[in-house]
Amino acid sequence: MRLAPLVVAVALGAGLMGAYVALGGTSYEPTPVADPCEPRPERPGDGSGERVELVLLAAADETACALGVSREDLVLALRSVDDLDALAQEEGRSRDELEQALRDGLERAVDEAEQDGLIGDRTAGVLGFAAERFPLGLLLSALRGASSFLN
Amino acid sequence: MGTRGRRGLVGLGIGLALADSSVVTLALPEILRRFDIEIPTVAWVLTSYNLVLALAAVPAAYAARRFPVSAFVVGTLVFAGASLLCGLATTFPLLVTGRCIQAVGGALLVCAALDLLTEVEGTDARAVRTWASAGIVGAALGPAAGGILTQTLGWESIFLVQAPLALVTLAAVRRLRNRPAPEPPGRPALSANLALLLVSGALTAALFLLVLLLVDGWRVPPAAAGLIVTVMPLAAIASGSHARRIGSSAVRAATGAILVAGGLAALGFLPGSGWGWTLVPQLLVGAGLGLALAALTERALEGRSPQAVHGGWTIAARHAGVVLGLLLLTPIFTTALDRNEDRALRAGAAAVIDSEIPPLDKLAVAQDVLALVRSADREVPDVREAFDDKPDEPAYAVLEETLVSELDRAVTAAFSRPFLLAAALALLGLVPIALSRRQVSV
Repeated sequence: MRLAPLVVAVALGAGLMGAYVALGGTSYEPTPVADPCEPRPERPGDGSGERVELVLLAAADETACALGVSREDLVLALRSVDDLDALAQEEGRSRDELEQALRDGLERAVDEAEQDGLIGDRTAGVLGFAAERFPLGLLLSALRGASSFLN
Repeated sequence: MGTRGRRGLVGLGIGLALADSSVVTLALPEILRRFDIEIPTVAWVLTSYNLVLALAAVPAAYAARRFPVSAFVVGTLVFAGASLLCGLATTFPLLVTGRCIQAVGGALLVCAALDLLTEVEGTDARAVRTWASAGIVGAALGPAAGGILTQTLGWESIFLVQAPLALVTLAAVRRLRNRPAPEPPGRPALSANLALLLVSGALTAALFLLVLLLVDGWRVPPAAAGLIVTVMPLAAIASGSHARRIGSSAVRAATGAILVAGGLAALGFLPGSGWGWTLVPQLLVGAGLGLALAALTERALEGRSPQAVHGGWTIAARHAGVVLGLLLLTPIFTTALDRNEDRALRAGAAAVIDSEIPPLDKLAVAQDVLALVRSADREVPDVREAFDDKPDEPAYAVLEETLVSELDRAVTAAFSRPFLLAAALALLGLVPIALSRRQVSV
């Protein structure tokens, strides 16, 4: 009887904590980003802008998977050459390695999109040329504004 | 002046001095902006007061034992003067200096108040109950009062209002004379004071972190946040008034510590970001606060003399606990906040990339959001601003809500570990409580 308050306190504390855990308390945190090496759900590509966007997102996945980073970290690093350098340093790679991975990823994604009929020869040619020949700074600018650049 | 009047005024003095350990909690975001400093630095407005109070309490208690009336008068005058200095401080070091002086005055005032209350109440037991209750109510009401004053009159008003209120309490000692305690002080109650230290450390989390979460994390206005955290002192007062039915002081102390731990653990597992989720945990923490602090103070003073000196030890233990909580939890919290900022940025980037808005607008939204994050400079940005000039279409509304939700999730999750650590501190308090029970039984 003397210890009844202790039992009630334990029941109240554990009960409330259990209820909050059951309501999702352990998973209420930022949504984890998807693995770039895993296929993503299909998205419709109606207009030419959307189709080019799908190619670029596929390229981002290919590159991120090859580098072992998330697609989001890579996209955030595409803001500038400096951001790309910072990502290279974080991942213990050289800028040349990152640049090559970016060009390879874009080329693979363009080839696949062309094979799947998502983009035509002309668009594939322009994207392929950019991937292979553009200096890095210009390639990043082109990727950031690709839709308007190609439309 | 009658007993009730003196009791009220002395209680007001105790409440003011102990409220100061938490009164500026809701003003911290404003102070941070005013002096352009970072979270670990601004925490020194709280840490300095509690640290000096912890260090000064026992020497102040020895002084109060010899000259209780003089110590109360000097303590009150120093406290009032330093409050003015804090309110008028133009630099952060000056504010912290003012807080240190305030704490010295507060230590003298609070320790002397216990001896004065013994004279006013007639018995040690009643004096201890009044003294402990005034302290708990003051400490628990502090954040709410501070929040309301900060929003209505600015953070400086917290200190400027305290000065005249403190001076009013001097009327309580009119016609009272110094009556030095004759007996030499005995050893302090180690177990009860150690338990006080640990439970107080845990309570810091309840007050400091919860207020930061509400105001800085969930963007609740300070006055509203002040009202929300009033649940805790109300629960503390309610549980304190029924405490004596619960049984021995050891059982009350242990029950209180468990309730505090349960409430804090629930705050560590919040399933959403609305303030409503904090209400039930606050009820538990408040009820635990009312039970544990009063019972442990009683145990620390029970049968010990002189009261002022042992009261000084309890003040030292409580405020050392607050300092321990602040020093332990602040770096853990700021590290978690930095880590979650990166996670939120990634989740936000994914939300923008996968959204249904036109591809070209994704770049514009992403740039606007990133600009807000950068300009926020360690504060939580209001991402809704990035959508002010965007079309009124469902795709934009969905993206806006997703980004706000990711931010809320990141901020709320950053507080999880510090709350859980604080719950562990409260549970650790059960060890000395159990030991002190055994000592009493033996």
